[in-house]
Amino acid sequence: MSMNRRDFLKVTAGSSGGLVLSLSLPGCAGIQTGYDELDGSWTPDAWLELTTDDQVYFTLARVEMGQGTYTGLTTLIAEELGVTPASIKPRFAPAAPKYRNPLYNLQLTGGSTSLATSWQPLRVAGASARMMLIAAAASVWEISPTECRAVEGRVVHPNGRDNLAYGRLVELAAKQPVPKAPSLKPREEWKYIGKERGRLDAEAKSTGAPVYGIDVELDGMVYAVVSRPARYGARVKSYDDTAARQLPGVLDVFEIDRGVAVVADKYWRARKAQDALTIEWDNDGALDASSDQVFSSYHKAADEDPGESERSEGDFDDAQQGAERVLEASYEQPYLAHATLEPMNATAWYRDGAIDVWAPTQAPDLGRIAAARVTDLSPDEVTIHTTFLGGGFGRRLTNDYIEEAASVAYRIRKPVKLIWSREEDTRHDVYRPAMLHRMRASVSGDRLTGWHHQIVGPQILDWYVRNAAPAQYPWAPKFLYGTLGRVGLMAEGIATPKDHSAIEGAIEYPYRVPNLDIRHTHTDPGVPVSWWRSVGFSHNGFAVETFMDELAHEVDQDPYRFRRSLIDHEPRHLGVLDRVAQLAQWDSAALEGRARGVALFRSFGTYVAQVVEASVEFGEIRVHRVFCAVDCGQVVNPDIVRDQIEGGIIFGLTAALYGNITLEDGQVQQSNFHDYSLMRHDQRPEVVVDIIDSNESPTGVGEPGVPPVIPALGNALFALTGKRQRSLPLKATV
Amino acid sequence: MAVSLTVNGRERMLDIDSDTPLLWVIRDELGLKGTKFGCGMGLCGACTVHLNGHPVRSCSTPVELADGGDVKTIEGLSQDGNLHPLQKAWVEHGVPQCGYCQSGQIMSAAHLLQHNDAPSRDDIVAALSGNLCRCGTYSRIVAAVESVVGDDAARPDREEA
Ligand code: FES
Ligand code: FES
Repeated sequence: MSMNRRDFLKVTAGSSGGLVLSLSLPGCAGIQTGYDELDGSWTPDAWLELTTDDQVYFTLARVEMGQGTYTGLTTLIAEELGVTPASIKPRFAPAAPKYRNPLYNLQLTGGSTSLATSWQPLRVAGASARMMLIAAAASVWEISPTECRAVEGRVVHPNGRDNLAYGRLVELAAKQPVPKAPSLKPREEWKYIGKERGRLDAEAKSTGAPVYGIDVELDGMVYAVVSRPARYGARVKSYDDTAARQLPGVLDVFEIDRGVAVVADKYWRARKAQDALTIEWDNDGALDASSDQVFSSYHKAADEDPGESERSEGDFDDAQQGAERVLEASYEQPYLAHATLEPMNATAWYRDGAIDVWAPTQAPDLGRIAAARVTDLSPDEVTIHTTFLGGGFGRRLTNDYIEEAASVAYRIRKPVKLIWSREEDTRHDVYRPAMLHRMRASVSGDRLTGWHHQIVGPQILDWYVRNAAPAQYPWAPKFLYGTLGRVGLMAEGIATPKDHSAIEGAIEYPYRVPNLDIRHTHTDPGVPVSWWRSVGFSHNGFAVETFMDELAHEVDQDPYRFRRSLIDHEPRHLGVLDRVAQLAQWDSAALEGRARGVALFRSFGTYVAQVVEASVEFGEIRVHRVFCAVDCGQVVNPDIVRDQIEGGIIFGLTAALYGNITLEDGQVQQSNFHDYSLMRHDQRPEVVVDIIDSNESPTGVGEPGVPPVIPALGNALFALTGKRQRSLPLKATV
Repeated sequence: MAVSLTVNGRERMLDIDSDTPLLWVIRDELGLKGTKFGCGMGLCGACTVHLNGHPVRSCSTPVELADGGDVKTIEGLSQDGNLHPLQKAWVEHGVPQCGYCQSGQIMSAAHLLQHNDAPSRDDIVAALSGNLCRCGTYSRIVAAVESVVGDDAARPDREEA
């Protein structure tokens, strides 16, 4: 969709009644953010609205799930517009094509892309508006715009006395030509970008005020819960709701696609009625795998199929034959749940031939598809209202909860809120895939001559494409949804991009080695999987950086120096590695009873090196300190960078120490925080984060803190015990 | 059953199933949504409120046990429009990420400060270890609590014992 320049600028009556200067400014050519070069379109990405009563509204096209977009993106706009970030009123974007993420052509928040994809377009949007406001003021004063300055919501006259508030200039500004190449402020003039600033949503989030999905309240609202099969893919054979229907407050019980829904006037009554329900499931074709079988099927697949080559240099087989030693290891990682603290939920209301859905979703336009699929409505008849998210981590890219809420609302025609219990949330997640890695390296003397990495496991897009394809092709008639899904599966590269989810972080192996072979053996045990904070990097990081540690040990070198000697051609890698070694005082001895491990990993364009200091106390692994150096290019909000990196470290340590979803006869064994533990206050290490000063384009920080901490902890435990652990979660004794 | 509660200083009469967890009464009957549902089993602390001056997991407290009691939620923590010192510290330290756990964290911390003039870091950690944060904001939480230790405004001798 290409837009005429004039379309960017609209003068309309605003909600406040005043005149509104709306500037919808798109992404622009030449930036590295995945702008669509094919049709040369500026994909509108932000919506700025200035009103005559001096309000500045900014439509956030990325959701706020804790990662700080609310503050970060608002800061970009504020900097260029010349107002304080706190004076801007952000609001969440509804599902609409103009809010799509240009990298995915979908309106979704994920992949640590919000800042990278908004960095240029939002500053351009702010700068354009500022220049038009200045031009408007200059025309009033009959002087040249270059003589005027914009300061905190006003245009200031060169005499220093006179000034005009933006609100008074709105009408005139809207008539100014849109600047062709708005000039962005040079770095020295930044007032907000790169400066320590609090989070704009901190006060609301400290008083219980923000409305998360679970807090949505509508007049006459009722509550729904859904009983789903314990085994993925099972269907309802029959159910008996006699007892349930007799309980107070129960309004209806009926079957939906994913199970049996109970609707009641109160949440607790719906839960009690659910307990009184008896359901017989048809397990024909349902998942029946157990975790052991998953891994044995992976090993079998790895034996039988060397997999597709994803990157190859030199000749690994030659290197192996000529090598003095060949080292081999395989690593196993379990399924992991997202465990957002706010469980899945959605509220829906079907009336007058259309449905409204309020949901904490990372992918609003996929939510429209999800609701349309289970009703007779078209996506155009579905409106998604995005709320604050109580954590996302990739879980809320899958809109199964919207599907359920829409099915129920469509049937009962009342506003209805659906809430998952924690147990349901844990058992019906779409998991970080279990993976197997087979590593081989050839060594001659103390030189690494060959690297071979075989990744074994599923691809996430296979599971996702069913939802994503129709959202990318909204013109497709509904009966085509299934076909589009299959096209995505079978003709990779046509309907869907190449899926890097299994191999990312492995194919970018950065160390110097003359012969290298990286392969993916694609095998899918049928367990639903999805993106999980840092995705493929989360498992490839463990495999690559643990094996590097094994190699260092094999050639009798210090793990830090071994890495260093193989990466001195990569300055940003080297920069974080050296910095973390300094921070952790690598060369001085660890405290009595403790040991240190190091790991270096780049993900989402961000370079991270970490040193973990750990011990084993009273039969438990104790992580004392984590040192971290991060290079994420130019920094918009250093405070949020540190905060996100530290959060990533806690998230990674949680996976390393406890994360383990297991299956038995197709059923997930874990249910709540007693058997799917999260790190608590009393287990938290001290975390030291140092940010490298950089002029490079900014890259994301929500995920890159996660991958290295897992191998760094494993490597520390090896240094402590002399025993190498090759599967997760890590144990105190092996 | 008929239940009477004093919530954030206001008396409320309700007719509600006696086994309904206090959490859902607070959220759905009284419309106070700042108290969150995380696990329903007393394992995460997101639902922490003060009942008769004690921090309780409202998800696991049937409303009949709270009958006649005095309840304070996050909405009742600030007084006369002034943020509680902990809330101010939360803003200053940029504590919340997604924010979902924070009401519970603050309610646990508020109780600690009410009863301990000078909690050590270990005391703080111990008082908060039942409050999970999936976003990993723990270090800032502890720093924020430490910053208000000794602040008298953190221990207004209000209705709590
Ligand atoms: S919801 Fe009550 S402790 Fe988790
Ligand atoms: S801030 Fe997200 S769970 Fe604590």
